[in-house]
Amino acid sequence: MSRTPARLAAVAAAGTLVAVAATAATAGATRAGAGPIKIGISLSLSGDFSDSGKAAQRGYKLWAKVANSHGGVLGRKVQLVIQDDTSSPTQAQTNYQNFITKDKVDLVFGPFSTLLTAPSAAVANRYGYAFIEPAGGGPAVFQEKLHNVFFTQPAPVLQSADVFVKFLSSLPKSQRPKTAAYPSLDDPFSSPIADQVRALLQKKGVKTVYKTIYPSETTDMGPVIQKAASKHPDAIIGGTQNGDAYAQVKAMVQQKFSPKFVFLTNGPNDPAEFPSKVGAKNVNGIFSTGDWFPQEKSFGNAAFVKAYVKAYGGSSATIDPSSAEAFAAGQLVQEVAAKTKSIDNKTVISTLHKGTWKTVEGNLRWNSIGEPQGSDLLMEWIGGKLYPVYPKALALHKPLVPKPGWGSK
Amino acid sequence: MTRNGLLRGGAFVAAGIAFPLLFNAAWLVNIGILTLMYAALAVSWNLFSGFTGYITLGQVAFFGLGAYSLGITFEHFGIGSGYNPFYVLPIVGACVAFASLPVAWIALRTRAMTFAIVTLTLLFIVQQLAFNLHSLTHGSSGLMLPTPTTFGVDNYDRPFYYAMLGLVLLALLICWGILRSKLGLMLLSIREDEEKARGLGIRVTGTKLVAWWLHVFVTAMVGGVWAYYLTFIYPESSVDPLVMIGAVLMTFLGGRGTLWGPVVGALVLVPAQQYMLIHLGGSQLYLVGYAAVFMVVLLVLPRGIIPSIRDGVVRTRERQRTRGGAAKAAV
Amino acid sequence: MHQVIQAVILGLLIGGVYALMASGLTLVFGIMRVINVAQGALVILAAYLSYALFSHAHVDPFLSVLIVTPAMFVLGVLVQIVFVRSLRGDDAEELSLLVTWALALGIEGVLSVIFKTTYRATSPSYADKTLTVFGYQVQFVRLMAFVGSAALLLVLSLLLTRTKFGRAVRATVQNPTAATLLGVDANRVQTLSFGLGVSMAAAAGAVYGVIYPFNPGSHYDLISRLLSIVVLGGLGSLGGAVVAALVMGVTEAVVAVEWQPTWASFSYFIVLIVVLLIRPQGIFGVRERAL
Repeated sequence: MSRTPARLAAVAAAGTLVAVAATAATAGATRAGAGPIKIGISLSLSGDFSDSGKAAQRGYKLWAKVANSHGGVLGRKVQLVIQDDTSSPTQAQTNYQNFITKDKVDLVFGPFSTLLTAPSAAVANRYGYAFIEPAGGGPAVFQEKLHNVFFTQPAPVLQSADVFVKFLSSLPKSQRPKTAAYPSLDDPFSSPIADQVRALLQKKGVKTVYKTIYPSETTDMGPVIQKAASKHPDAIIGGTQNGDAYAQVKAMVQQKFSPKFVFLTNGPNDPAEFPSKVGAKNVNGIFSTGDWFPQEKSFGNAAFVKAYVKAYGGSSATIDPSSAEAFAAGQLVQEVAAKTKSIDNKTVISTLHKGTWKTVEGNLRWNSIGEPQGSDLLMEWIGGKLYPVYPKALALHKPLVPKPGWGSK
Repeated sequence: MTRNGLLRGGAFVAAGIAFPLLFNAAWLVNIGILTLMYAALAVSWNLFSGFTGYITLGQVAFFGLGAYSLGITFEHFGIGSGYNPFYVLPIVGACVAFASLPVAWIALRTRAMTFAIVTLTLLFIVQQLAFNLHSLTHGSSGLMLPTPTTFGVDNYDRPFYYAMLGLVLLALLICWGILRSKLGLMLLSIREDEEKARGLGIRVTGTKLVAWWLHVFVTAMVGGVWAYYLTFIYPESSVDPLVMIGAVLMTFLGGRGTLWGPVVGALVLVPAQQYMLIHLGGSQLYLVGYAAVFMVVLLVLPRGIIPSIRDGVVRTRERQRTRGGAAKAAV
Repeated sequence: MHQVIQAVILGLLIGGVYALMASGLTLVFGIMRVINVAQGALVILAAYLSYALFSHAHVDPFLSVLIVTPAMFVLGVLVQIVFVRSLRGDDAEELSLLVTWALALGIEGVLSVIFKTTYRATSPSYADKTLTVFGYQVQFVRLMAFVGSAALLLVLSLLLTRTKFGRAVRATVQNPTAATLLGVDANRVQTLSFGLGVSMAAAAGAVYGVIYPFNPGSHYDLISRLLSIVVLGGLGSLGGAVVAALVMGVTEAVVAVEWQPTWASFSYFIVLIVVLLIRPQGIFGVRERAL
């Protein structure tokens, strides 16, 4: 390589340009607010949603810690302003008002649960803030048709079980169920999902033989399962949360009713609790869905799991997906900052609407109202362990069909 | 007394109107809205329970009914956004109040403790209806109200603030009117001795129902404004026992059966609660702290701030008078 | 028909446990005209105690009744002395309603700090055992819970009818002034009966955790049921509470099976409203004097 003066001059000029650009970027950042990047987050640290709220808090805090140990975002430290909303939507809305108009934070992230996200997203939207939210995937959030919302899971809650329908369609005709029963919990994240699955399956010729919705304080699933069993369905498809899912399985075991397929939207996807609640010998062949699992080969996931276990103890199996969802919200901000050199809300909104973004939750992209366009994972218990079994590309085990009888390996 | 009362009322109205103009930061106006909301609930709780002596624990059921009624009206009658929904509110309030009369009539056939319990079950009945009447309320998924787009950004909260302020004033005016009317005398005699009142020829049930109607009328409108402000309601948030406890606690703190007591209670407790949540928040002891404050108020100050101050003033004056008299006698 | 009978059996078994919880509530009201709104929260507290004993010390939940009940008796006595007795004035009864409500919130708060808000269940090895009698399924734990509750109710009624303490209690219920004149220490009777009422909640709670999953917020649902049971039965009437609890259990179970589970508890509230329309004092109640 010959060193001519002209080339040297060119290199020097380029170097100056980069330096000037860098100074300009720093100046821009300084103008936006010197010191740390403040991110306001309302979380349910007390009240009904507090367990999940605290799980989300662990994810957010872990992200801030990891980001800060790498020099922060755009050279600024990340500072989380976390405020308890006591699981009340009125308080969540008040908290976001405070973050934006009193604390004048740079960014806000979402609370836990659709029920709190829906009113909070409207506040953020009013002030032009991006609303990256890890846990508000119910229809109410998207019904507002807000352009500033980004849900950090692979699929909206309503479509979270579509993957099960796709899986059933992939089976040879003789193995597919012909009839199904749908006992579901009266909850915004449960019965609407079961309704969605039912509509899709009916189109594919699966007959609905029984359908019921039970209230959240129902703790005895005996009568519900008894009625479902009396119709002899091939599949039990339940829109459930944890407690009622355990109760449904227990009732099926007690009544010695073992259909060919059991799919419960929530409950069986908890690797630590489920076997202890229904008995380790009764888990095999039960399907559920998940937006994340510890062994997933998504962006930064291995490091996330390692850092999580280091920070909070336990094992990878005890990580609540809510923590991963919250962590993903932070990853998005880092990526936008890396790409645009800005964390200005307008930039964040317009940038995230273009292209696909890599997170621990998988590769995410959204339509104009923040609904993610991906698909959740189908999980199944096989040999006493929970595996993702569909879609094939992400599967870690071959699906087991039909479900073995209760108490068998 | 009347002149003092007028002064007090005038000062409250002036301060209320001026607050969002002087402090126009949205977060302050927001806390103002919450304070006025609880003040309106506490004043109307006092309007029934403070004056009749019948403790209702079901008020928040009608707050929820008002919220849902406005939401359903939005969805089915397209009342538009902007200021229109505020004009619809009195109709919503009146309808809810009339609809509550049959239940109130049954509940008022029972006495004292049974009445309190029956009204408490109203909370659960209304919550269950909100869950189960899916086609009207969307059940547990919640009901979305349109976000008003004409209020701008900077002063977005003001219309809601003035609506709440209006409701507080309405409730206060009703109480004030009752206190100096025949209705007030009849309610007082019912509170003192219902059988004697009946013996005196007072139409006891009718009188109680009038007070009931008025308290539901205001409560339901408060629920409507809250729903419109929050834009999203669901069964547990609209019929929340903690809101009920809040309103009762404020009334007890300020002074039951007094005109200004509930307002004082709300002015003290809501900002205090927000302050504690921000500064002690995350310690998870929020609920315990709330219960402790309630307990202390009930055990230490069961009659409330205003009656205690009034007693204090009377006592001081009497002491001064006696001392003055004694001094004179000495001379 | 089979399903209806099955539902009735289920309802009666559940109703028995509710009867035990409600008996404490109605007993306390009968003696001191205090409604203990914290009864539901105390049931949940006992459920957690029994859960903790089971999961840490492997104490069988039915045996843990023997530990939890005396402990909660002491707690009940303390609550009465500290919070309830100190209320004075002519509206002490109404105030007690609110004080015990505050107590319920406090218990809920403490429990959610210690145990978090996830649902727990005490699951002994026999939790899933089911007996089949004449083709009807009876869960072993529910049968045990029912038998245990019935036994305790029997003990309670013997205590009230056959002992000196029981006579003092009944005298206080009928005429507090006369009882005092006859040398009954009213304060002592009130304190001990409050403790007794809480023990009933404790015993039922230890068993409740085996039948139902629970979290600190479960007390709202419980207390709404318990209060409507004692009102339906007639405030202060022990027999009324038992009958009303069974009516509630059966109504809910039958409606859940024959119609919709979501309308089950609503249907019971309708029964309550209709009864109050006909008999404002409840099925076995005595009309309250105006206060």
